[in-house]
Amino acid sequence: MDSLHLGSYTFSSRLILGTGKFSSSSVMLEAVKASGSQLVTVALRRFNREQPEDDLFTPLSAIPGITLMPNTSGASTAAEAVRAARISRELSGSPFIKVEIHPNPQHLMPDSIETYEASKILAKEGFLVMPYIPADPVLAKRLEEAGCASVMPLGSAIGSGQGLATAEMLRIIIRESNIPVIVDAGLRSPSEAALAMEMGCGAVLVNSAVAVAGDPPAMAEAFAEAVAAGHKACRAGIMDKSGMAVATSPLTAFLGPAS
Amino acid sequence: MNTLLPEWLNPAADEARIREMLSPDSRWTLEHLAAQSRAITLRRFGRTMTLYAPLYLSNHCSSGCAYCGFASDRTTPRRRLEQEEIRKELAAMKRLGISDVLLLTGERTKAADFDYLRTSVATAAADMQRVTVEAFPMSVAEYRELAEAGCTGITIYQETYDRARYGELHRWGPKKEFLERLDTPSRALEGGIKTAGLGVLLGLADPQEDAIMLYRHLRHLGKTYWRAGLSVSFPRIRPQTGSYQPPFTVSDHLLARMIFAFRIALPDVELVLSTRESPAFRDGMAGLGITRMSIASRTTVGGYTDPESGDQGQFDIFDDRSVEAFCKALREKNIEPVFKNWAHAYNGPSSPETDERAPENVNTWN
Repeated sequence: MDSLHLGSYTFSSRLILGTGKFSSSSVMLEAVKASGSQLVTVALRRFNREQPEDDLFTPLSAIPGITLMPNTSGASTAAEAVRAARISRELSGSPFIKVEIHPNPQHLMPDSIETYEASKILAKEGFLVMPYIPADPVLAKRLEEAGCASVMPLGSAIGSGQGLATAEMLRIIIRESNIPVIVDAGLRSPSEAALAMEMGCGAVLVNSAVAVAGDPPAMAEAFAEAVAAGHKACRAGIMDKSGMAVATSPLTAFLGPAS
Repeated sequence: MNTLLPEWLNPAADEARIREMLSPDSRWTLEHLAAQSRAITLRRFGRTMTLYAPLYLSNHCSSGCAYCGFASDRTTPRRRLEQEEIRKELAAMKRLGISDVLLLTGERTKAADFDYLRTSVATAAADMQRVTVEAFPMSVAEYRELAEAGCTGITIYQETYDRARYGELHRWGPKKEFLERLDTPSRALEGGIKTAGLGVLLGLADPQEDAIMLYRHLRHLGKTYWRAGLSVSFPRIRPQTGSYQPPFTVSDHLLARMIFAFRIALPDVELVLSTRESPAFRDGMAGLGITRMSIASRTTVGGYTDPESGDQGQFDIFDDRSVEAFCKALREKNIEPVFKNWAHAYNGPSSPETDERAPENVNTWN
């Protein structure tokens, strides 16, 4: 069984789960368990050391076999993200940091410039940097050069459920990348996650689609199965699409038989 | 003095839909709007509700708003909290689980001036995760100082966009200046405040017209200050000292319609509902569009440490349920109450140009 490698970490599951938007932390924990995810992201702003009932970090860290990846959601500049990453590492002990910088809290689109700056600094400080980025092939390569552990381009806007709206750019990023490409944001259904994996993604990150499903643990499981199937298919080699019919009167008959 | 209204308050090309949604006799039934609003809220914000509570720092005031219990001609005893008292109030709020506080004052007075407010923000930011302010209009430079002291958001209501009504209601004091107030959110965002909360006091003027103007204001701010976080509140006039009778009544149906229309027209903005509203209305609206609610509120100065304090608040609270009771009601609706949805690391002015790229101090409290 091949695994996902991020830094010195190895994961057999290729589904990363987000932990926001759930109706309760108990439902969220059930979904995490059902997903079989081994890497789970949690926002620093949802760490609450003063009020256990409101805290997402402590109950997540109690699940065996889970590595936590704090994220900087809420940061609007590189400086804030760097500060948040350092605090997250102190509090969680995890070397992973998902760099999320959205200067506009409305549409939550990642700021490429600030994300690049923060990622460069954090990679130098030894973090396993997982930047959430627009589906920009050049930025992805720049972040790889800066020492990131992966790149996490968006499939579509966070919480939009628009699926792989950026598919063409994602194909280029995947083709050119030497680090795992993890599609983050926009996935609505397991079939879209499977498609991302068939395209060659290293993993996918899902949050809203599970959190707001009628039965989040069951949906988490469905995503896990779809991700595994998509990855297996990619490894097995998917047959080429060929919509082309062959002309009955050959166009190249004039060339004569090949010698 | 230029007394012309700014151009962005003119009718915009993209407002036909919200105007239609706001009208009770349109083809958009309330049920239709509710279903769309709920779906958008669920996708964008999930099954959560962010909670905050107000802290009245001072009820000194220099303005004569006809509808307000703190207007300067009321006989309400005046008081401001000293820093030690603020710390005590914050401690009492923290015991309730609150980590997101809205600091309030009246219009600028000697008793509660800018220095007092800035000091109070710093006091609150040392204790609370998120500090926002609803006080008096300030200059860009003052807003920057406030942001540096740890204030991440301001709330400033125009109260009404009907200029003639505005003139009648704001009888004296600095708040009399309609255009000055209109420009305040812009100055705050320019000064590096990250979020601006807008609203009209429903009942002062034609509610639908006010809602349209509010929508124009929000669109203008969103396009001009692209980093800005925006929120909208929907306060209806509540009984208060001075027993002002509002000329317009805003029914539960109309208020619900407004909230749904704003959610659909502005899918990403925070929509806020306070304890002015009844428990039944608040519970009903949770999950249908509202994403931020106040809890366990006291609208008196010093109300958290001395709940029996005899002085009268700015307005009467309708939803006076305890934190536990309110959270239980949310959970029964499958919505998670979220007390902490912010981190100290994200405090500070919004524009990155002035930021240092690699801060050295790691030991900031989360």
